[in-house]
Amino acid sequence: MSVATSLFLAFFGIAAVWFGIVVFRTHSMVRSAIALLFSQTAIGAMFLVMQAEFLGVLQIMMMATEMSVMAIFMVMFMMDPGGMGKMDMTHQKRLSLWAAGIGLVAALAVIWGAGWQGPVPEVPGADEQARMLGRELLGRSMFIFESAALMILTAMIAATMVAIAPREEENP
Amino acid sequence: MSTAVVLFALAAGCYLVAVCESWVVHGRLSLTRPAISALALLGREQILPRTPDRLFFETGPVLLLIAGLMSVAVIPLAPGLIITDLAIGALFLNAALAYVLVALIMAGWGPNGAYGMIGGWRFLGQFVAYAMLIVMPITAVAMRAESLSTVQIVLSQATLWNVFYQPIGFVLFVIAAMGVAWLAPIDLPTGGGDLAGGVEAEYTGARLGVLRLARLVIIVALSGATVTFYLGGWLGPWLPGWAWTALKTLAVAAAMLTLGRQLPRLREARYLAVSWKLGISLALANIFLVGVIALVVPI
Amino acid sequence: MIPELVIALSIGAALFGVGLYGALSQTNLVMIIMGVELVLAAALVNMVAFWRYLHPDVTAAKMFVLIVMAVMAVEMAVGFGIAIARFRSRGSVEMEEARELKG
Repeated sequence: MSVATSLFLAFFGIAAVWFGIVVFRTHSMVRSAIALLFSQTAIGAMFLVMQAEFLGVLQIMMMATEMSVMAIFMVMFMMDPGGMGKMDMTHQKRLSLWAAGIGLVAALAVIWGAGWQGPVPEVPGADEQARMLGRELLGRSMFIFESAALMILTAMIAATMVAIAPREEENP
Repeated sequence: MSTAVVLFALAAGCYLVAVCESWVVHGRLSLTRPAISALALLGREQILPRTPDRLFFETGPVLLLIAGLMSVAVIPLAPGLIITDLAIGALFLNAALAYVLVALIMAGWGPNGAYGMIGGWRFLGQFVAYAMLIVMPITAVAMRAESLSTVQIVLSQATLWNVFYQPIGFVLFVIAAMGVAWLAPIDLPTGGGDLAGGVEAEYTGARLGVLRLARLVIIVALSGATVTFYLGGWLGPWLPGWAWTALKTLAVAAAMLTLGRQLPRLREARYLAVSWKLGISLALANIFLVGVIALVVPI
Repeated sequence: MIPELVIALSIGAALFGVGLYGALSQTNLVMIIMGVELVLAAALVNMVAFWRYLHPDVTAAKMFVLIVMAVMAVEMAVGFGIAIARFRSRGSVEMEEARELKG
């Protein structure tokens, strides 16, 4: 445990939270999507600081592509993607602020109240972690892996079927 | 120390690829043309669009350059000459190349111009096409090397280069790499006749210089990646390791620049159809074949 | 009292709060999906922090993280499919106007 790790964790964490707040404060829709992208990148950087290299790089890669797709969907569906009109598109603001506040306070109470006992065990090296993850994925957790693959395939087919425009029947 | 050597090699490689590209486009070999046009770009007037999204307008080209530089960080020039030998180097290269998409979307949306914006969103269509085709051949390569580290991948080709072991993967990877660097015939984002310059249209002066430099860095990085994954990296007789890497990288970059120009421009709808219907099936067949051969044949 | 663990978990809690605020207060379907993505990312931060500081030798924790990442991607894909269908039939994806099944 070193001060540098704590500082990097705090820096990337505060960057993630700040970008997350920008997502809902800015008026421009594309800026909102790109801000969410950088928030997820900061979270991926936190994973790298916590020495989960594979997960960090995977998070950074996946979120870059997912949020860019989200950006184009925002341009397709929203009325004012550039944010020049400065419309306010929220409802039940006070309720959601209270709900978020209560959730945050409850979570922080549990975190700061519980007694986390050290010492921290040793972390395996990056090569060793990648090898162990591979063996776990295709060994003990093979069933989970296969059912996740089936779930992804089903979702792909379902999303495509829902999104395809119905063809016009031409029976007289 | 090795960082400085790799960056110097990258600068030399970018200059030579720029010379090669000007030779292909203009028909005459001129060794000083890139230097003269770089100086001219820095000296020209900077025309700013009327109501840009200032943040994206400035950040787009810089993010493209950063993405290119990060992807060079895991490419080995010789045993020991690598900026950082990550245990998951091949995946890190892919993650850095994903930010090419983010940078082009920013550069297209920022200047608030129609052609640039269409160029940026068309690159997203191209991205959906090449994203699978660039990851699945890397999976097959990592299967043979039993590691994701780029150094291990090069060392695993000591008996037989991957281009002969997995030719289908090689073809798919090169096609996807040409999509990443938007080389002809898949050069929609900056399409010359179709989109009046596309993403590059609204940028002038030093920012255009950064955009073009970033594209050269990405081309060199992708050639380096092709050499590392499929052409044996620094392996070869007589010459020292770094000389082989340099020769192979330049050969791959020259091939990617020249061969594509013979074909007409490929619309992203056609690229999507070909890569999802044909490409992904071939990539999955490639993974299966490589798995079978790796278990049966002892090389 | 492990300081890095407390920092990481507090960041997770803050992200959860921001995501919950967004998911509850926005009217547009795409913004609601963005709020849910933030909540899931907060859960991921918590999981990786618990793996790293309490049980670094248990690889099943990383499997859990991979499954949650897959679920994030899948939920976004299906959500956008539904958004396309809704947009095609109604012309907007504002959730305030989605009252056909109410009462």
